[in-house]
Amino acid sequence: MSAAAARETQAVPAPIVRLNEVGISFRGVRALDGISFDVPQGGVTAVIGPNGAGKTTLFNCISGIYRHEGEIELAGSPIRHLRAHQRASAGIARTFQTPTLLDDEDVFANVLVGTHAWTTTGFTGVLIGTPRARREEREARDVAWHHLTAVGLASLADRPAGALAHADRRRVEIARALAAQPRILMLDEPAAGLSGTESDELIELVREQGQATGMTSLLVEHDVALVMRTASWIAVLDAGKLLAVGEPRAVRENPAVIAAYLGADAEVVA
Amino acid sequence: MTEFLQIVLDGLMTGVVYAALALALGVVFQGTGMLNLSQGELAVVAAYIAWACTQAGIPIWPAIAIAIVASAVLGAVIYHGVVRFVPPHREDSLMTLGVTLLLGLNAIVSMVWGTDPRAFPSPFGTWVANFGGLRLTSQQLGGVALVGATMLVMAVVFTRTTFGLRLRAVAQNPRSAAYLGLRSGLWLSAGWAAACAVGAVAGIVAAPTAGLSPAMMTVPLLMALAAANIGGISSRVGVVVGGLLIGLLTAIGGRYIPGLGGDLNVVFAFAAVIAVILVKPAGLFGRESVVRA
Repeated sequence: MSAAAARETQAVPAPIVRLNEVGISFRGVRALDGISFDVPQGGVTAVIGPNGAGKTTLFNCISGIYRHEGEIELAGSPIRHLRAHQRASAGIARTFQTPTLLDDEDVFANVLVGTHAWTTTGFTGVLIGTPRARREEREARDVAWHHLTAVGLASLADRPAGALAHADRRRVEIARALAAQPRILMLDEPAAGLSGTESDELIELVREQGQATGMTSLLVEHDVALVMRTASWIAVLDAGKLLAVGEPRAVRENPAVIAAYLGADAEVVA
Repeated sequence: MTEFLQIVLDGLMTGVVYAALALALGVVFQGTGMLNLSQGELAVVAAYIAWACTQAGIPIWPAIAIAIVASAVLGAVIYHGVVRFVPPHREDSLMTLGVTLLLGLNAIVSMVWGTDPRAFPSPFGTWVANFGGLRLTSQQLGGVALVGATMLVMAVVFTRTTFGLRLRAVAQNPRSAAYLGLRSGLWLSAGWAAACAVGAVAGIVAAPTAGLSPAMMTVPLLMALAAANIGGISSRVGVVVGGLLIGLLTAIGGRYIPGLGGDLNVVFAFAAVIAVILVKPAGLFGRESVVRA
């Protein structure tokens, strides 16, 4: 799908993220090719597609892991020139397929460190502990407690993150991402390793947070039924190219999407 | 019995220097995956800077403060100028870099200040205290107090402050920390600066006894490496305990086993390393693996 065609098929006023001809190659293999679509402000947008479609690669481009072709805009501002830590400070938070926690630290410290994205005290101020730094630290601790409680892990606050079960590690990672108070939260297969109830609770928590703060969620997920229940906007990738983008009903009925990805499942989720 | 207690005390006093140097090794290793073989030479540079300041008429304590700050800056510059360009998984390149820095700093110190040993004034005076027959010099007591205070400050900063939490976050996983908005390079530079400041204190405490020379910290570095292996380089507590153990072992072994006194007592350190490697390869306090990028 060309950039122009993609834009024609969606009507997204003031998108939070705009992808414009985003591409990347690895040793001659085209992993993403001319990806252009808008992510609407608020709600949940899902990126789906078969294995190897380029979903996680797209996340890596947006979060600044990979240097990519094309441009990405966050709330109208180009971010291609920004490095990963700068994109985080600009309001992009993410989780990974396998949670990347600080295993030696306790659960509370893991969530607290997520608040760095919005604190404004500089390196020197934090080192010498200025009044502003101490005030921000108190706020940061309140925010961290709030999100730790929201994911139901306040009772495990003192436990080392490395000792947690997979589902709890996933919750801590999401609490940490929410503590960053991001404008866009990217969740890479958040339901992986969780039961149906656990993943529903997690997604509901993220949706509530989005409704309360205006945060947008961008979701990569293989559980098509979960995606159809959750997302208000869906982009479909296949072999590094954009196959379709739009509302769930339109995507579900798209013959190209059915042929490449949904197949017989389309009937199940319809 | 008094003689034995005296040897134990002397061993612990020496072990404090090993502990400080081992702590510096551990901080750098956790952050960048580099076993910084130049840590001893960096301590030598600090001692020479303090000495040069005293020669210029600056009182000893301000001279020591200048040397510690200069070492911290030098550490940050070395990380930012060289180390950050080597990926943490390139252990071979990091090892080569450590040796290169060791040789380079040694050569620079020799060129600037010469190779003849020089007398370094003790900042703690020259009095001797007696406690029930146990003899402790002011240099020993002051050295322990200075190194202890430095390690205490480091412990508080590392474990009780936001600064320390961010430093630990970057040290454990620089890539993950970047996604939280932490500028890894800046924080790892701070880690190197902190390590070099601790190493500087070790050098300044060792200099009055060992005599200031470019090779002054060669044996202490070997002892610190042994301490890091014994305690577990991934554990800040472990490296300190390892340093004290090495100090004890070498002092007691050197005194009571004939023919292994003086610098030959290093053999006890390495016997202990081998024993720990056979029983607990990660060290007494270490984890089986260190998470880093």
